[in-house]
Amino acid sequence: MNIIEIEDVTKRFGSVVAVNTLSLNVPKGSIYGFIGPNGSGKTTTIRMIMKIFYPDGGTIKINGKPHDGRRLNNVGYLPEDRGLYKKMKVHDVLMFHGELGGGSDLKNKIAYWLDLLDLSDYASKKVETLSKGMRQKLQFIATVMNEPELIILDEPFSGLDPVNAEILRESILNLQKKGSTIIFSTHDMSMAEKMCDNIFMIYKGEKVLDGTLNEIQDQYGADTMVVQSTGGEAILQGIQGIEKINNFGKLQEIRLRPEANPQQIIGEILKKTEVQKFEITKPSLNDIFIRIAAPERKEVNHA
Amino acid sequence: MRKILVLFKREYLTAVKTKSFIISLILVPIIMAGSFITFMIMDNNQDTTDKNFVVIDHSGIVAAHLEEQAELRNENAIFDPETGEKVQPAYILEFTDADMSDPSGQLAELSDRIRAKELHAVIEIGKDVLHPGDSTEEDYIRYYSETGFMDNVRGWFTNTINNHLRQLRVEELNLDPEVNRTLFAWTNIEAMGLAEIDKKTGETKEAERSNELQSFLIPYAMVILMFMMTLMSAVPLLSSVMEEKSEKIAEVLLGNVTPFEFMAGKVLGGVGVGLTVAAVYVGGAVITVSRLGVGDVIPMGLLPWFFVYLLLYILMVGSGMAALGATCNDNKDVQSIQFPAMLPVIFPMFVIVPIISNPAGTFATTLALIPPFTPTVMMIRMATPVTIPVWQPILGLLLVLLFTVFSIWVGARIFRTAILVQGQKPSIGNLFKYAFRS
Repeated sequence: MNIIEIEDVTKRFGSVVAVNTLSLNVPKGSIYGFIGPNGSGKTTTIRMIMKIFYPDGGTIKINGKPHDGRRLNNVGYLPEDRGLYKKMKVHDVLMFHGELGGGSDLKNKIAYWLDLLDLSDYASKKVETLSKGMRQKLQFIATVMNEPELIILDEPFSGLDPVNAEILRESILNLQKKGSTIIFSTHDMSMAEKMCDNIFMIYKGEKVLDGTLNEIQDQYGADTMVVQSTGGEAILQGIQGIEKINNFGKLQEIRLRPEANPQQIIGEILKKTEVQKFEITKPSLNDIFIRIAAPERKEVNHA
Repeated sequence: MRKILVLFKREYLTAVKTKSFIISLILVPIIMAGSFITFMIMDNNQDTTDKNFVVIDHSGIVAAHLEEQAELRNENAIFDPETGEKVQPAYILEFTDADMSDPSGQLAELSDRIRAKELHAVIEIGKDVLHPGDSTEEDYIRYYSETGFMDNVRGWFTNTINNHLRQLRVEELNLDPEVNRTLFAWTNIEAMGLAEIDKKTGETKEAERSNELQSFLIPYAMVILMFMMTLMSAVPLLSSVMEEKSEKIAEVLLGNVTPFEFMAGKVLGGVGVGLTVAAVYVGGAVITVSRLGVGDVIPMGLLPWFFVYLLLYILMVGSGMAALGATCNDNKDVQSIQFPAMLPVIFPMFVIVPIISNPAGTFATTLALIPPFTPTVMMIRMATPVTIPVWQPILGLLLVLLFTVFSIWVGARIFRTAILVQGQKPSIGNLFKYAFRS
């Protein structure tokens, strides 16, 4: 059963086609990751799901029902551009958003969430006194406190330190366990790999990837080698069969040409240097993203 | 509707719970009453320092009389008859002959004495003042002072000198002294209201003397009150919506509420604020005047009209301000648009006096039937003692109602598009595009 069904949706802004004949189904109870470069159409798609924008063509159904102009109940939405009333107190802000979302037993919910995200001490403080990370957590609480059926988070992790990002990640997984469907857009590929049941990538308004991580990686085959060696990137230069090197400093991710033989390549490397680690693997989501979004610019160091 | 109520509650409580709101709620009547009382005190408490004058009498027939009258006044008229306290300045006159060889030099010298505060004024009386218009230019009375035009003292000299001159002219005619006595009697016209028959008791209510309070202060107070309510409730929506847009609060809320619900909640919050302030002030005024035993100065029959017009006025102006606020990206945009946006609200304030002077005239009637001006202008006209045809306030109300619906509709259309558009200026072209093309 799908909670969201998008069919042939197009959205234009003047002469610019922001989203082009997009079709996408989001299964109930899943965590769906939206990835894509800036300006590729992620936020427009999300705004159309939220009925903030109306599509120029196609249909979007939520729980099988098409648009009727009213706002969706039981949906939590954390936009990318987000703000809170600075002069309001933390507790009052949550009460306001809780009431807008039609929630009940709000006092207990607020206490629970403030405690969970370590903000209890700030309940009676004004929003303007909070740090950026705290505000981010507060906004997250305001979005999810009523535990809506569908939660849409646009860049929920941006600006968070690793500790808070981890707390948020756990909270999202817990919400999924309780039955919520979660869509989140992110530029953090490792977070998407770790969390998402499905991943959807949009590029220049077109859907370029849609499926589970395995399905997506299978499309690209096992054409990637990870090498950790004493010689580093320098010794990889000039070896036949290497299409591209992603240099991570101590570690290099090598994309092989389709006709290349991995055994030959490792043999070449071993002739030149001492190898600490060697692995033939599927491409990472990060690599797939870069292959799609920046094929010309990133293709360097050809053999 | 529930969401509108949640937004309304936040908007209303945020506004009325601020210190600035409570302070202005208290301060405004204090300042208004204070300036009124100060004006009354200043008006009654004249400067009682004695004033020195130099009189140059070319005619030779006025000086003696002036001296006599000034002494008479200094003995009798400058003290309060009950308390004996000095309430007016004494006029001390100094007479000097004209320096015919250098009249300008003499005047310049005397002017210096005025500048040095030794003198208050110099009065120069022309040679032919008794029979003006007899082919000479010597029939003047001149009053030289630093504040010649505004000076009240001038009036005393005008009356005293002219009365004396008339007396002299009459004496030349050798009339019966009895005729002489009433010849210059002056009767003021008393301004009266209208008589009416009480519909319940059938008794005739006699016409009352009309006063400044009824004909000027009540209409003035009502329109100022309405203007202030709008300033406090509807105009702030301009910057508050801009802030919600620039602080990215709008986008968060728009996930939950439609743009119309968002705008409605905000405008209704403004209406709530305006009506609260109006209720406090009008209630306070009613209680105060009834305690003072002058309860009938407040036209109770007008209060329902006042509140209905105020409600529609705030809705009309508020939806316009919210829509314009949605088109602004920062404070600069707000500043550039604030004055033109407020012009329709401010304009009636400039024409209060002509409207009060002639509330049934073509200008006032026409203006009262142009919806953006109707609430204030119609209230001024209704509050004056002049009878306005019954159909006019009703037609005005209908027009305002229609215009309010129109401005909410246009406002909502502009709002829903503009609130998500970044980087576009609030130009007329953009407003038109948002309102009618999207």
